[in-house]
Amino acid sequence: MSKLSNRIELLNVGQSFWMKDQEIHLFSDVNLAIEQGQSYAITGPSGTGKSSLLMLLSGMETPTRGQGYLRHNNKTLPLTELREELGFIFQQFHLLPELTALHNVALPLKLRGIKNALTRAERCLKKVGLEHRLNHKPQELSGGEQQRVAIARALVFDPKFIFADEPTGNLDRKSAQDVSDLLFSCCEENHAGLVLVTHSHELASRAQHVFSMADGEFKHQQAKNMEVAAC
Amino acid sequence: MLNKSRNILSLAWLFYQQEKNYKHQRYMYWIQATLMTFIVTLSLSSNNIQQFLKYNLDNLLGADVVISQSQRLNDTQLNKLKQLSSKWIVTQQVSTTLTHKEQWQQIKLKAVNADYPLQGNLRISDSLNGVEKEVASGPEQGEIWLDSRALSSLSIKIGETLLVANRPLRVTNVLLHEPDRLMEGHSVEMRALLHQDDFSQFGFAIDLIRYRYLVEADKQQTNQLIQWQKQALPAAQFHHKQGAHPLASFWKRTENLIGLVSIVLFFMAAIAIEQLTQVQMKKEQFFSAVCLSLGASNKSTLIISIVKWSISLLFITPIVLIVSAAFHWLVISWLATTFMALSWDWQIWVALKSVGATSLFFVIFRLPIWLSLRNASLAYLISNIKPSKNQWLSKLCAILVLFIVAFSYSDNALLTGMILTAITASVVLILAVSWISLTLAERGSQGFSGIAPFALYMMKQRLITKSTQILGVGLCAFLLLFTIMLLRDLGSTMADYQRQHDGNLMISQASEDQMRHVSHWASTQDIDIRQSKPYLFAKLTAVNDQSLDKYNDSPSESLATFKRAIRLHWTQAIPSNNEVVDGQWWDSDPDNWQQISVEQEVMTDLGLDIGDKMRFQIHQHVIDFSIVASHQYKSGAGSITFWVQMPATATKHINAPHYHMASLELKQEHWPQLSQLWQAHPTLRMISLKELTERFDKTLAMVTQVISIFSGLIIVLATIVILASISALESNEKKKNSIILSFGLTKSTCLKLNAIEWLVTGGIAAFGAIFGTYITGLMMYQSQFSLPYNPDILWLLSTLLVILLFVAGVGIGASKASLKSSVRQLLAEN
Repeated sequence: MSKLSNRIELLNVGQSFWMKDQEIHLFSDVNLAIEQGQSYAITGPSGTGKSSLLMLLSGMETPTRGQGYLRHNNKTLPLTELREELGFIFQQFHLLPELTALHNVALPLKLRGIKNALTRAERCLKKVGLEHRLNHKPQELSGGEQQRVAIARALVFDPKFIFADEPTGNLDRKSAQDVSDLLFSCCEENHAGLVLVTHSHELASRAQHVFSMADGEFKHQQAKNMEVAAC
Repeated sequence: MLNKSRNILSLAWLFYQQEKNYKHQRYMYWIQATLMTFIVTLSLSSNNIQQFLKYNLDNLLGADVVISQSQRLNDTQLNKLKQLSSKWIVTQQVSTTLTHKEQWQQIKLKAVNADYPLQGNLRISDSLNGVEKEVASGPEQGEIWLDSRALSSLSIKIGETLLVANRPLRVTNVLLHEPDRLMEGHSVEMRALLHQDDFSQFGFAIDLIRYRYLVEADKQQTNQLIQWQKQALPAAQFHHKQGAHPLASFWKRTENLIGLVSIVLFFMAAIAIEQLTQVQMKKEQFFSAVCLSLGASNKSTLIISIVKWSISLLFITPIVLIVSAAFHWLVISWLATTFMALSWDWQIWVALKSVGATSLFFVIFRLPIWLSLRNASLAYLISNIKPSKNQWLSKLCAILVLFIVAFSYSDNALLTGMILTAITASVVLILAVSWISLTLAERGSQGFSGIAPFALYMMKQRLITKSTQILGVGLCAFLLLFTIMLLRDLGSTMADYQRQHDGNLMISQASEDQMRHVSHWASTQDIDIRQSKPYLFAKLTAVNDQSLDKYNDSPSESLATFKRAIRLHWTQAIPSNNEVVDGQWWDSDPDNWQQISVEQEVMTDLGLDIGDKMRFQIHQHVIDFSIVASHQYKSGAGSITFWVQMPATATKHINAPHYHMASLELKQEHWPQLSQLWQAHPTLRMISLKELTERFDKTLAMVTQVISIFSGLIIVLATIVILASISALESNEKKKNSIILSFGLTKSTCLKLNAIEWLVTGGIAAFGAIFGTYITGLMMYQSQFSLPYNPDILWLLSTLLVILLFVAGVGIGASKASLKSSVRQLLAEN
């Protein structure tokens, strides 16, 4: 897959689920395109289906209505083709507690059978400013540091898109600021598309595109050019 | 206060209802119920047998006191007996072989007078399916009564004549019941009753006859008789209605052995419970922290936890009682083939006592959870600081339970030691191999990428939890492998008997005259006598100047055997099928002839040491021997071996009848000639290998059934151990799999990782299992099962492979739940 021409498209997508014989509609008729290299934020109250939308965009789940595609060099592919080109960042960090920071970051490389996994992981951790924490386990790191490790882990295998779920939700203001700087700058540098789900308007406002979800409606709120510092 | 208690109770009930369907709780119930059922069934069955024996003693002694010995009482002794009791009778027994046409059968011949029976009923019938009737006295002169099996075996009918030592006796009745049957214990020997006047004309060697004095006595007279027997007849067997059944200690030993073996079941349960405890502890600590944040005290949360556990136990108990009652019924039905008239008797108190004792074990297993709740704090919720999981405490509790079980059932230090050593060695080895192999594999694969190195790396990081899992699987495999190997080897040993160089006819007792006759007959017929070893009968009466009863009262096979006269062998050199394991064998011509060598297992069973003194009554002599050596059986040079051996020079000083044990190899044409041999020597005890193997086969069938049931229990517990260990790690596994999926990898990667982990787990466990099986075989085969130990490594490996495929299959199958993870589970909201 070439580096520049990947785009995720959702066409008239709707999502609902059944609970105790009752169908719960999260959203419907959502049309959305995500370009590689651009940043997107999805905001809205809890329970409106932001995470579900993230799952649809990543091709991990299929919509109950409508369709999702990956456009690559004018070819239309199923979203499952994206599988190996995705990285995730979570609110709870979800680092493996048994592994050091270095090994957590090296994990996706090792599983892919990539050589020099540890060297690449070390380089990546240096980029996020954790060269002094290589051999520390998650429980020995602060929340901000853990999220930096998670960012390094998500980016270490050069994915085309990063999906981040409330990446600063568990952090104090200062750490949140540092992490969001890092996240945007690294995605920009890696030319990865970034899709954020957040309640934070401050974080959302840093994205080039902001969408909001409320009462089953999906709105495009803002589009802008972005300036970021190098990571 | 009352309201508070009621609220706590209702909360406990509510949480019990919520938790009872959790997977880890279900496994916990299964383990508890399985162990409880085992212990309750064992106690009920044992109690049933002991009760039966007690009843048996009261009703089947045929007298208030029975004195039994191999000599007739002399005049002085008879006068004393007359002084002590006004009513007594004497019977005589001999084991002989009766022949009829070309059939022969070993039979216990009992001779009685008109005064028999003293107490109880003598019952006969006049045909095989005839009506049972009670008679006041035994057979008339010239008559013999045979039991139904003897009639069938000899193919003889009522009214026909039987030749005993060439004297004709008419078979007139079927013998159904003699009131002094207890003395035959649970023997299945066939029986015959005849008049003493006939018996005296057969000319049986006097030392082969067993005299039994049946005495009527009240309690005071019984006590006087006990005192008199101890002083005047120390070598006699003495039974009375106030005493214990001669088989009671044997069955106590059986119960203890099964109970001791149950230590391995507890060990496996301990591993499973230990892992499930970790899951439960986390949940209880979280619940406790939430309660604390709502103003509750540590005490309240602790009470809720205890009540919740008690409710679960209350629900399990009735199920356990019903299931164990059913198993108890099956066991008794099975044993009823050995103990005629044994019937199912369900004792609620015995069952409840066992439930109580087992519950106490579970309380000890539960202690770490309750202790952790005492120290629970809000910090768990605020800063996510997890309280200590008391991992070491829970391991200590498990070890404590195992020691209590071992202590409760141990009556044989050697066997207990062997079982504990085998388990400990396997545990240590499995732990060491886990640590070394995972560390080396992790270091060696550090420079490599890929699924396998990652799997090894992760296993090393989770070394403690993985080791427990490996330990569980390894011990299960070890136990299964050992039981299957034992079963197979016992079976093949039986088959090998047909081909061994020991010959196909075994003489267990031949007097000097008889042996001369047999040797002459053998040489004329060109029959090969493979082995011939002399012995004399000796009755142990005291050890280190203490009477046998006082010296050792813990039940054991050795003690049960020493209550009868044993075979004392003499030899100058160490027999070629023996080896000295302790002490020093005597010189070729020792001045001191009063020295003996005792078999190692007997030494341990009776707690003997080199230098101890053993006093034997041999014929009319009382002789003290000093133990100078301890020997054990060595396979490959014949099977005739003796527990106690003395220097050959000792025979110059002991005037007692000599006997021989021997083995011969007969050809097909020689077998019909045995009838003549027996006609000439009815007391010659010979047994063909075919009969011997038939007896072995019956024993083997019983052993097979017991081992199969035990293997079944192991498989049930093994499956629970695997499921429990998966359940304990399930949340971690799910998270790991979700994270791997979030890297864009597929579920097949997770499955491969899982398969690699199970194969490595299985591989290390297999190594431990083979080692454990090997050393257990090395230690126990010879001493406990009298089998030579020649492990077939190829067979071991292939059986192990089957077990491991099963284990890996169960493991991978049961891990499916953790493969159902998805990235969504890591996201913050729906």
